[in-house]
Amino acid sequence: MSAATEAAQAPPEMRWRVDPFVLLAAPGLLYLAILFALPLALLLLQSFRDADGHFSIAGYIEFFSDPINLAVTWRTFRVAALSTLLCLVLAYPTAFALARARGFVQSFILVAMILPLSVGVIVKAFSWSIVLRSDGIVNSALVFLGIVDQPIRLLFTETALIVGSANVFLPFMVLPIYAVVRQIDPSLSAAAATLGAGPFFRFFRVIVPLTLPGVIAGVAFVFSLAISMYVIPSLIVGERHATLSMLIARSYLFFRDAQLGSTISAILLLIAIAVVLGSSLLLRRFEGTRV
Amino acid sequence: MLHTTKVPVADMAAGTGDPAYLSVEKVSKAYGATRVVETLDFAVERGELVSLLGPSGCGKTTLLRLISGLIGADAGRIVVGGRDITKLPAHKRNVSVVFQNYALFPHLNVSENVAFGLKARGIAPSEIPSAVENALALVRMSDFAGRPVGALSGGQQQRVAVARALVVEPDLLLLDEPFSALDRKLRETMQVELKSLLKTKGMTAVFVTHDQEEALSVSNRVAVMNGGRIEQYADPVTLYTRPASAFVLDFVGLSTHLAGTVTAAGEGWITVDTSYGELTCPGHFTKGAKVLVGVRPERISVGATPADGMTVLSAPVADVMHLGSKTHVYAVPTGDDRLVAELSASDEIRVAAGTTATFSWPAEATLLYPAEATP
Ligand SMILES: Nc1ncnc2c1ncn2[C@@H]1O[C@H](COP(=O)(O)OP(=O)(O)O)[C@@H](O)[C@H]1O
Ligand SMILES: [Mg+2]
Repeated sequence: MSAATEAAQAPPEMRWRVDPFVLLAAPGLLYLAILFALPLALLLLQSFRDADGHFSIAGYIEFFSDPINLAVTWRTFRVAALSTLLCLVLAYPTAFALARARGFVQSFILVAMILPLSVGVIVKAFSWSIVLRSDGIVNSALVFLGIVDQPIRLLFTETALIVGSANVFLPFMVLPIYAVVRQIDPSLSAAAATLGAGPFFRFFRVIVPLTLPGVIAGVAFVFSLAISMYVIPSLIVGERHATLSMLIARSYLFFRDAQLGSTISAILLLIAIAVVLGSSLLLRRFEGTRV
Repeated sequence: MLHTTKVPVADMAAGTGDPAYLSVEKVSKAYGATRVVETLDFAVERGELVSLLGPSGCGKTTLLRLISGLIGADAGRIVVGGRDITKLPAHKRNVSVVFQNYALFPHLNVSENVAFGLKARGIAPSEIPSAVENALALVRMSDFAGRPVGALSGGQQQRVAVARALVVEPDLLLLDEPFSALDRKLRETMQVELKSLLKTKGMTAVFVTHDQEEALSVSNRVAVMNGGRIEQYADPVTLYTRPASAFVLDFVGLSTHLAGTVTAAGEGWITVDTSYGELTCPGHFTKGAKVLVGVRPERISVGATPADGMTVLSAPVADVMHLGSKTHVYAVPTGDDRLVAELSASDEIRVAAGTTATFSWPAEATLLYPAEATP
């Protein structure tokens, strides 16, 4: 008996069923499979192959034996983490303001959040350099006000990179948090108040836990974007404070070392996955304990 | 006021029948130009369950929010158990609220929801589990302690909301249309349950509803609210037999409702011209005054020979509705006016739709109100 007839004779509940709605996701999934998963798999495979096509972990050994690479990895992680944190701190209250605002004010904040996305990152990064360079507006103001004697270095610093990238990524933090904040039933806070909860207790035991899904989504977005950013660090800090993305580009473009390039890519991907999964687990755990 | 000297709260707790445990004094609230609650006075005795009845939008929820401190009053004073709470924020008032939509915390399970108020008040963690258990047992929800609240039915959520509100031992419990989302049968069960639960606890409570039947069945005293004011505050029998205003007449129970003009005014008697003809009844209006005439339907006889001292109208019958234990006879309505009689099962039905019948009632059963100023 063939497998096909066997399947046909199986009781209905044994048959493999597809929820028709899942099919709606098929084009998207297929697209991702062809243009994301497949190339990525090939890339990872490549990181375990030497120039002759033999299996080798030489790329990883080479990468980790150079202390500069370790420093770059640590810096990349640090910048991404701090940029995400800065976004979160700025976005959280903004999301509440956005949810509370009505009419024109709400539209204004939304546009102010989204419009900067349409100004390309390159344009933005260049405009910052106008503001931040040694004869830029900020330094001129600082010198004029007598706060500093000499123009200080603003450009080409890690702080500038963190502040600059947080600026680009802010909407990706605000929007998911805003989406959950506006869903929160205002009567929950009222109920908490009548049960004897003061403003702090209400905020930390009702509002914060209910916004967690948005925070997780925002952190995942921004961290993934920040750890893999290339254009912003290239323009703001240059080679002085290279990040992993810049190393990857250099490996491919200058050294023509595909194994090293794909190795660093794999490491970058691993950090991103670890942080995104880790933070969501951590937050869910925090939510789960319901102190 | 009986008490001019300040009585310590502890003494009042002894409960020597202080007339006003909750006292709302000349409280007003406006949103912009909309005056939602208008110099309102309202009082509830200790241990009493009172209903606040009124149509949607009359300000019931706003009054509850004022009492619970979720919004501040523009003017007036609110006192609970001798404590002036007018200026206190909600979390310091010790007034629990059961919200219309229950407002259970979706991120907490049943027992965590009930424990919330205890934690917020800093109750020792060792005391919380037993308090929560008792509260859940009280509303027969012990078996659901570990369930997420999203998995509960409406009636179960309702019970959890009540347990959560009571476990903190509030001075006062406010319930905002708590059963409006439940089907009729469940609603009736819950009404009975709630009533006995509050009685056992000796809880002072205000029960808000827009359903007059519910108001009358839940409590012994009903405050009828309209347009931000309390129109009448009385027991159900008084509300029904002696409505204080045309609004109460129409809102509570079924009634004849006739607009008319006084054509003759005598010594305590007036004659009123209505769309069904003239009628004479006791009253003190001047000639030419616009009035509203009401009669409760069970006072009206149909088709009987009117005795002396009866007020009589004759009108074409539109419908005879047999409702089992009773029968309603409706005259053909003219404009906003309607004439309706209720006959009991033992009464002989002598009329049919399409015929003209005499509607008669004892003259003193006629209720008269000055007509609304607005046309
Ligand atoms: N926050 C508010 N802002 C403006 N108007 C309000 C607000 N809350 C209530 N109102 C108005 O006050 C009136 C009474 O509302 P509410 O107390 O909710 O009535 P009820 O509970 O009796 O249905 C309504 O006309 C409503 O539109
Ligand atoms: Mg309401």
